[in-house]
Amino acid sequence: MRILLYITLILIGSFVGSKNLFPEKLNKKLNFFQNICLFFLLGVMGYKIGISDEIFSNFNKIGISALIISFFSVVFSIIFVKISCKKIVTTKKESDDYGN
Amino acid sequence: MVIKIILSIIIGTLLGYNFRFDFLIENIDYLIDLGLCLLLFFIGIEIGKNKQIFLDLKKFGYRLLLLPLAIVTGTIFGGFISSFFVDMNVFETTAISAGLGWYSLSAIELSKYSAVLGSTAFLSNIFRELMAILFIPFIAKYIGHTETIAVAGATSMDTLLPLITKNTNSSTAVISFFTGVVLSFLVPILVPFIIGLS
Repeated sequence: MRILLYITLILIGSFVGSKNLFPEKLNKKLNFFQNICLFFLLGVMGYKIGISDEIFSNFNKIGISALIISFFSVVFSIIFVKISCKKIVTTKKESDDYGN
Repeated sequence: MVIKIILSIIIGTLLGYNFRFDFLIENIDYLIDLGLCLLLFFIGIEIGKNKQIFLDLKKFGYRLLLLPLAIVTGTIFGGFISSFFVDMNVFETTAISAGLGWYSLSAIELSKYSAVLGSTAFLSNIFRELMAILFIPFIAKYIGHTETIAVAGATSMDTLLPLITKNTNSSTAVISFFTGVVLSFLVPILVPFIIGLS
């Protein structure tokens, strides 16, 4: 259900964007709105980590194992993608880039 | 940008660790949903303004499925390799890695088998997300845009989509969302299947 919500929101946004229904004045601030939402989201996610006693109390016991598993998972997923998907997307920034 | 990202998380974590606001704790998932929904809407607008993206997607065709396949294979292989370094069997480490960054689901699934396994899955997939947040800007700049999706895993369709979008381009954003959807469908199948083999 959640996936459907996300797809619907992106589709509504795409429709608004393609039909130029978003006010021109606010269009220029789209990047700013995205940044505000992003930092808010990351801050709330950080808060969620901070209030999780489970993470802090178990950190020493299982933290190292978790770190090793996530490290190898990340490294090998990058290597496998690098090898097999070289030409799927361009790595050159487009003119519509967000400029960060 | 990276400094702002790290600061946002550190400030949030410090606030959470030191101050327990009942209202925030009770509504934290709603707040995440709200922020996420707004972001996805804004990203949708950005995508809609760039009609070239849809032509690009059509151009990639079936090759798009290669990406989630490579991510799943690489991640599970990483889980296999890590079994040599931690005090767990290979099915446990690969099942944890098969969470693909979706910490809540993988932790819940694996908690059914043991609390330690569930907690490790939770932390491991949290770490994956944190690594992705920290390294996506560098990976996008020095390794490649597609690889940013690999680090994010299943979260490339939601929580990390904004970060990927900001550090790559609109085409990668669309592919990221598509890949995240495919991976999110696979996580609830892969995790119980792999741990069931142990």
